[in-house]
Amino acid sequence: MILICWGLWGQSLWAEPALQTAPAWAEVEGCATCHRFSPNQPESTAPDLFYAGNKFQQDWLVEYLQRPTVIRQAGHTRDPGFLQGQPDFTGPHPVLKPKDAATLAAALMTLKLPDLETVALATTPLSEGKKVRIKILFERDYSCIACHESYNLARQPRGGVSGPSLIDAGNRLQAEWVYLWLQQPKIFLKKGRMPVYQFDEETLLNLTRYIASHKKESGNKN
Amino acid sequence: MMALSIVLMLMSGMWACDPEPTSAPPGASAPAEPGKPSVPAQPVTRQTRDTYQFYCAQCHGLKGKGDGINARFLTVPPRDHTKTDYLETRSDAQLFDAIKLGGLAVGRAPCMPAWGHTFNDDTIRSLVRHIRELCHCEAF
Repeated sequence: MILICWGLWGQSLWAEPALQTAPAWAEVEGCATCHRFSPNQPESTAPDLFYAGNKFQQDWLVEYLQRPTVIRQAGHTRDPGFLQGQPDFTGPHPVLKPKDAATLAAALMTLKLPDLETVALATTPLSEGKKVRIKILFERDYSCIACHESYNLARQPRGGVSGPSLIDAGNRLQAEWVYLWLQQPKIFLKKGRMPVYQFDEETLLNLTRYIASHKKESGNKN
Repeated sequence: MMALSIVLMLMSGMWACDPEPTSAPPGASAPAEPGKPSVPAQPVTRQTRDTYQFYCAQCHGLKGKGDGINARFLTVPPRDHTKTDYLETRSDAQLFDAIKLGGLAVGRAPCMPAWGHTFNDDTIRSLVRHIRELCHCEAF
């Protein structure tokens, strides 16, 4: 689960140069208690936010901060109770008012890694047939379903819980970030629990589009 | 017809963590034969055990009993590495290939991903030895 501070932030505090520590607003409001705002900070038990502006969709952040949902059923991978299935942190995540959520989301979107590769992705939706073929890659060839929740054909969540749920990945994540994560996860996380893959470009693009097609809104089938 | 076949596969869920897949992905090697000479031994170190805990325990459990946090969500339960009866029927080469290439490549459950781009061969060999410790067994 993402833990993010709550309160009011002044615009003047937002713009930070390349971060070596948490930005002032995060320190003041307590965000940095649980989240890292620089890879140089000691590891924490909540998701890193120093690349939040690369990773998340702003609309999702605004919604999440008002109505937090569980993204990692087993807790964060750095939580001491993670492998026991009994995470120390069980929530609840702080809830913000709409205006504060919008303010904080905007601040988070300014947090980006410098010099990230620009990725051009096709925006046309996947055909149903192609989606089915990539679903087989996702579940069968690359075993993603062992650790990540996805949808079955009846559109019910199904899959492991050690990785973040992907059932709303298309709402939550920027497709470009998904692409880079699948291609070079170490850009974002020095050592993660996910296997390293060496996808060819076509597979990379297909998996990215497939993951980005996972949306929660009614009417958007996975 | 092909589309229909795919749909039927999807409806039956046959490809998802099926313990006996009918085909391997391109590039996968053939499963090792039982009785094949063992892979060169690599000592089990604290790093080996840490690696097992960090990566493998998610599914196989902290003590290797196949009860990791993902286990109850998988169609096919993760392998219990303490099960002597089964593991002594597997050669070290088969265990090595299963870790390196993934379950699908060796005719086992595709829930098991390929770790060949995560671990080098020596690390995989040491994980094989660690599994031998957990099962208190050697290959026949």
